Amino acid sequence: MAKSVLVVGGGPAGLAAARTLGKLGIPTILVEKEQKLGGRPVLEDYHTLIPRKMTPQQVIGPFIEEVQNNPNVEVKLGVELEACEGEAPSFKVKLSNGEEHEVGAIVVATGFQHFDAKRKGELGYGIYPDVITNLELEQMFSREGKLYRPSNGQLPKRVAFVFCVGSRDRQLGVTNVHCCRYGCALSGLQGTEIREKYPDVDVFCYYMDVRTYGTWEYPFYWAPQEKYGVRYVRGRIAEITYNPQDGRLRVKHEDTIVQRPAEVPMDLVVLVLGMEPSEGTKKVAKILGLAQDPDSQFLVPAEDSGSNIISNKPGVFIAGACKGPIDIESSLAEGEAAGAEAATFIGAKVSA
Amino acid sequence: MAIHERSLVDPERVLRKERLVIDGIDVSGDWNLIILPRVIEDYDLSFLDEVLEQPEGKTILQCYQCSYCTASCPVHNYWDERYNPRHFIHLARLGLIDELQKRADVMWRCVSCHKCTHRCPKGVLVEEVLKAILRVMAKRGIIEEYPSKKFDKFFLESVYEYGRIEDGELLFGWIEKQGYQVVKDPILKKPIPFMGGVPEWLKQLAVKPIKSMNIGFLILNAKHMLFHPRTKNWNRFKQVLRKVMEEEGVFTH
Repeated sequence: MAKSVLVVGGGPAGLAAARTLGKLGIPTILVEKEQKLGGRPVLEDYHTLIPRKMTPQQVIGPFIEEVQNNPNVEVKLGVELEACEGEAPSFKVKLSNGEEHEVGAIVVATGFQHFDAKRKGELGYGIYPDVITNLELEQMFSREGKLYRPSNGQLPKRVAFVFCVGSRDRQLGVTNVHCCRYGCALSGLQGTEIREKYPDVDVFCYYMDVRTYGTWEYPFYWAPQEKYGVRYVRGRIAEITYNPQDGRLRVKHEDTIVQRPAEVPMDLVVLVLGMEPSEGTKKVAKILGLAQDPDSQFLVPAEDSGSNIISNKPGVFIAGACKGPIDIESSLAEGEAAGAEAATFIGAKVSA
Repeated sequence: MAIHERSLVDPERVLRKERLVIDGIDVSGDWNLIILPRVIEDYDLSFLDEVLEQPEGKTILQCYQCSYCTASCPVHNYWDERYNPRHFIHLARLGLIDELQKRADVMWRCVSCHKCTHRCPKGVLVEEVLKAILRVMAKRGIIEEYPSKKFDKFFLESVYEYGRIEDGELLFGWIEKQGYQVVKDPILKKPIPFMGGVPEWLKQLAVKPIKSMNIGFLILNAKHMLFHPRTKNWNRFKQVLRKVMEEEGVFTH
């Protein structure tokens, strides 16, 4: 019986799983498609992570370090899972670098990808330079440290956040009906960051409803509104146009509270992107025969289990954003849980 | 051209002329009717800044539009649905001035029952916030000074001057403030009850409680009307009061 574990994906959930397994003294192979560990937050230079308001380096940095320094964990960068044969507790896995291994359990943490905003043509992304995504706004903060309009490099007077782009949208097909879960809170945080640094910039959030669930209500909804004066307007932006006379954008929507149509000038429009399963998630689901949600294609836990990290296939555990939108701290916690679960599955004994 | 669903079109948005000549061409008839669009083209964000400058307006940002206030409001529920505190807050925050102006005739109707303030889950001092909104509107000349404010002002003046109010003076003085002709005595310049242009219904309204008063109380009231008593040591309190009012910017004189 094989006594090692394969972790697929080197993002927050995969790192947390590998770290737990390594600390338990279990031989672990961590494969990551990209050339760098850390997943989306590190690869794409997120500025501040919700809900702790820490940088990716602060949150994920220690996990990367521990995983890299643990002799039990073998990190393979630029490597993907190619094929898998056999059943638990003896999977024969083939990697894209030609290596073959025999493992007792597999943790899948293949994550998500951002929605491609160009698919919502009416919002003008890719047509008007001042329509950006919330990912690009994060990178504007983290890489350049300043807020500006891409069209002229100047500070915008008004910034609008357009909620639910690529989420809760049947027009895109059945794949994007789910809620992205982080968008409302991140917009509240980004709005706060803008208002803190540039008090003269007016920030508007156009929402259908604000889903800052649980303890996120105060820091990411009440505080932006009460302390920082971020304005919330109920109504989904239906179209973004450009007025060449004043060089500003117009956000077309109905203010559903006033029940009047509106086309209000804005200088910078930020599209709040939804989450989709990554290509890797879809690929791994096929290789391992994991159950997927028929609509969103996200992985789904076993039907007969109350735990959400147990997959339909014995010996395979699923953690993080490959199962649907999730925040960093839950992702880390799920990775840790999946790591511990995999350890008990292969019958590892922790020496006293 | 007929307008279908005419009730849905605000009359002020319909432009129509009996005779219209443009560039020498007579375009009179149905074709010169224009309905102005109802699209909101911009916000007036300085309105909110002005509300926030008022000491009563500070809590306006806390509103999250749940409408607990409006559902509790007796004016909204029993008098006119156009009186909607939640809606006024939204309009003020975005600076939708034309929408506020449309409601100017009902906006001063608050009866200050404070149900809204007591029940608001977000701690908005709704009644105060609405007063702040009204004040900014008055400053901008988009709402007339509302009648009940005349009474408030008179009441405050009386307290400010004497440290107390006098029922008789408040009643007959207020009649005068309402614009009715009142006859005054030549020496103390106080209004003489029931003299002058006081309308009959108002006289009857005032006579009713007077009839049921005992004679001693009536004489006391008459005396107080002529020689307004002052709360003991009021001048010292008055100075403190003035200082506080000046600091908070609520001096209304």
